[in-house]
Amino acid sequence: MVSSLRLPALTSLISPSFTRRSTVSLRRRLHLRLPLAAGFSAQSAASSPTETEDRVDSKKSGRVQDRGSTDRVITPRSQDFNAWYLDVIANAELADYGPVRGTMVIRPYGYAMWEAIQDYLNVKFKETGHSNMYFPQFIPYSFIEKEASHVEGFSPELALVTIGGGKELEEKLVVRPTSETIVNHMFTQWIHSYRDLPLMINQWANVTRWEMRTKPFVRTLEFLWQEGHTAHATLEEAEKEALQMIDVYTKFAYEQAAIPVIAGRKSKVETFAGADKTYTIEAMMGDRKALQAGTSHNLGQNFSRAFGTQFADENGLRQHVWQTSWAISTRFVGGIIMTHGDDAGLMLPPRIAPIQVVIVPIWKKVDEKTGVLDAASSVAETLKNAGLKVKLDDTDQRTPGWKFNFWEMKGVPLRIEIGPRDVSSGSVVISRRDIPGKQGKVFGISMEPSILEAYVKDRLDEIQSSLLQRAISFRDSNIVDVSSYEELKEAISLGKWARGPWSASDADELRIKEETGATIRCFPFEQPQGTKACLMTGKPADEVAIFAKSY
Amino acid sequence: MIEYYDISGCYILRPWAMSIWENMQTFFDAEIKKMKVKNCYFPLFVSPGVLQKEKDHIEGFAPEVAWVTKSGESDLEVPIAIRPTSETVMYPYYSKWIRGHRDLPLKLNQWCNVVRWEFSNPTPFIRSREFLWQEGHTAFATKEEADTEVLQILELYRRIYEEFLAIPVTKGRKSELEKFAGGLYTTSVEAFIPNTGRGIQGATSHCLGQNFAKMFEINFENEKGEKSMVWQNSWAYSTRTIGVMVMVHGDNKGLVLPPKVAALQVIVIPVPYKDADTQGIFDACAATVAILSDAGIRAEADLRENYSPGWKYSNWEMKGVPLRIEIGPRDLANNQVRAVRRDNGEKADISRVFLVEQVKGMLEKIQQNLFDVAKRKRDACIEVVKTWDEFIKALGQKKLILAPWCDEEEVEKDVKARTKGEMGAAKSLCTPFEQPELPEGTKCFASGKPATKWTYWGRSY
Repeated sequence: MVSSLRLPALTSLISPSFTRRSTVSLRRRLHLRLPLAAGFSAQSAASSPTETEDRVDSKKSGRVQDRGSTDRVITPRSQDFNAWYLDVIANAELADYGPVRGTMVIRPYGYAMWEAIQDYLNVKFKETGHSNMYFPQFIPYSFIEKEASHVEGFSPELALVTIGGGKELEEKLVVRPTSETIVNHMFTQWIHSYRDLPLMINQWANVTRWEMRTKPFVRTLEFLWQEGHTAHATLEEAEKEALQMIDVYTKFAYEQAAIPVIAGRKSKVETFAGADKTYTIEAMMGDRKALQAGTSHNLGQNFSRAFGTQFADENGLRQHVWQTSWAISTRFVGGIIMTHGDDAGLMLPPRIAPIQVVIVPIWKKVDEKTGVLDAASSVAETLKNAGLKVKLDDTDQRTPGWKFNFWEMKGVPLRIEIGPRDVSSGSVVISRRDIPGKQGKVFGISMEPSILEAYVKDRLDEIQSSLLQRAISFRDSNIVDVSSYEELKEAISLGKWARGPWSASDADELRIKEETGATIRCFPFEQPQGTKACLMTGKPADEVAIFAKSY
Repeated sequence: MIEYYDISGCYILRPWAMSIWENMQTFFDAEIKKMKVKNCYFPLFVSPGVLQKEKDHIEGFAPEVAWVTKSGESDLEVPIAIRPTSETVMYPYYSKWIRGHRDLPLKLNQWCNVVRWEFSNPTPFIRSREFLWQEGHTAFATKEEADTEVLQILELYRRIYEEFLAIPVTKGRKSELEKFAGGLYTTSVEAFIPNTGRGIQGATSHCLGQNFAKMFEINFENEKGEKSMVWQNSWAYSTRTIGVMVMVHGDNKGLVLPPKVAALQVIVIPVPYKDADTQGIFDACAATVAILSDAGIRAEADLRENYSPGWKYSNWEMKGVPLRIEIGPRDLANNQVRAVRRDNGEKADISRVFLVEQVKGMLEKIQQNLFDVAKRKRDACIEVVKTWDEFIKALGQKKLILAPWCDEEEVEKDVKARTKGEMGAAKSLCTPFEQPELPEGTKCFASGKPATKWTYWGRSY
């Protein structure tokens, strides 16, 4: 039977007059509240720059070496993780602070990382049958007001426009903190029969929440994200969709960002207000705090009942639709920075890196320069033609040593050095960002295009999987399996994550939060076999939960 | 394609329209990346102090700004503006980031939404209070470099209109009255809608000169060690392009989408007849879609059983799909399909053996034909006038008027005032780069003074 060629996204929906029913807004809880780490950039003790190479002896070159220049100081991670984070963002030119408090300017290098996320997810969303759309960013205040119960937490965070075109507006407008109200309002108009389902859309947009305490990428007044919204005829379909999308996010995190997230279901306490179930991907940052990196909600019929979003089923009976929503934001860029970086700066997985290979030509005497630059250009061409993202740093304003530090700090996975000796021998020197010093450096790689291309691609693949392996080891060595509350407390106090059987009450869960600062991140999909006893009550527990302090 | 929303002037872009926007975006983004322009993202919010830095700029935009005055229940100490355009948001950073000539050129672009609280008739895509666009902002060490880029970008805009949207445009320079508030000069591509007799600004590429550099202190140390101000450009096109496309190509049956931007290029429709091998027909439709999709053609089949083929024909014609393929029992028997063009209704039977080549060929022809027809219609609307009376007559006939002008701002304002009426005042649209010969002694059509150039005039959106 011919199946798959129905047209999912191309239903022609005519919108007759719509009924205004009371609407319920959805509070999107992508970020949990966190006690903000102290202040901003603490330009404290100079970090030790990565080893410069013997081949580039500054004394012999006769040029002043720019090491330790004051504008490139990164606080060591172990000393002050938050300061390290802010220093990296400033030095690697990822973002800058906006003039309006809490807003962020995403500079090209940072934006390119967001684009890499977008490009990948966009393809996946289309493959899974979703269409992109764009909804207005202004929401009539009356929409929000109708949902007082769900928006009570949000109202201090809403930005309100009251003046437009020089005049006081008749009705206050909210700058969207999340788009459920508008989306559901329109879904009600567009969905009439089972033939209009499933309706599967996504939008890439900016969203505003007037936060008090902010941190670049992780929590900003205005941030960029994608929010997917779908409506289905049955609960089973909605559940399948919610799980499918968290799986898309999980694969993305592992395969592209080299972040071994733990996917699972949120506890009732942590579930989005308005959702039946929230699925999440939780990442462990370099300071071992958890970062909720993406969420997918099965909204059940909560919204359709509140908005009156109904359809006539195959038997002509009117039913409410079943919905999902799911999102990932620029916060994910923060996750990439905090998972992989080190004291030298960023370390980017090749599949996300805006620049995968940087080529640094080295010469001492003027008559060496042309030969070296020519060789460097042709190597750059070879690799670009192979589809790689290459940067040739041929300015003569900076020493090679300075360039090594700079591009390491920018997290470029591979560096190729070409000096006069390499030109004569027709080979290059290749250094890996993820393996410091002599160990990560290989001499004598042939410049011959097919050999070089294959070598570079293999190394990039290795780096990609090495970063993932490292992150997995780090994560696994910092999760402790516990069987009692005492053990949990100890694990948390050591800065680790605790995993243990849980079947206690919401009150018990909140008690843990108050006493240790840790929350249930999720009940992971991957569960151990066998009978378990709840770590708090000792009663039988079906599942283990993961507890951790978080952003 | 679009949905009306509770707030006047704001629209919802449905998938059909969104994918047109995305197709153009893919092309343009790739082209500016070749020019080494980098994407970035600046905040939506502008503090008023910064907004007011460039006097003429703020005068031009102030009436249209939306202000955030509260957060939650409390009033903000200082109201915050939502960007109507991002010069004032970005240039303080340019001042900070540009120190020496090696920091130049600085070429940034962002894809984002902007808000202009207009009161003049909101029209979907053409004039809405919030719209999506790209805005490029570049800084150079010399005016020559800036001038060169202005035209390079303008050429990209021409290509978007002519090669993608199949819409003929004219490149030209805006008058002093119409140029960008705060800039040095503005170039644009101008389109014309024959049905309504109105011109429409398709996209703009401005040279800002050093005006903003002065206000925002964007200086650099040149190679001689002297302090110098940068030369800047800014350039943008928006979702308005989609509106222009709808108006130029639409007909009584609905939309007509140029294949290059259409979300769906080919729709395959089964035409079953009684009991004649329905399954075979459905399979053939599926196979056709598969073959076309593999070849990179955006094709889908409409296999819904609750709609008749006739209904489907009208539906997909209304949606503007460039090519329709029908498969019925006879086609199945002869191993062929029937192809019907949306633009001129031409039908052809295509052997399934040569399906991909034929379909590609037809899509190319449709793209070219749409452009040719649009150009013919536009050219037929052009009226060359020399006197005021001829001008008024042509205006009444909904023409695109080419007239000799003395290039004085007062005269232009006068033309606007004198033609104000129900239909809207006529204004200068652009002074085309391609100038017809201007014989000695030609007088301005409006003032009678000596004319210095030919300029296009008309009513506009």
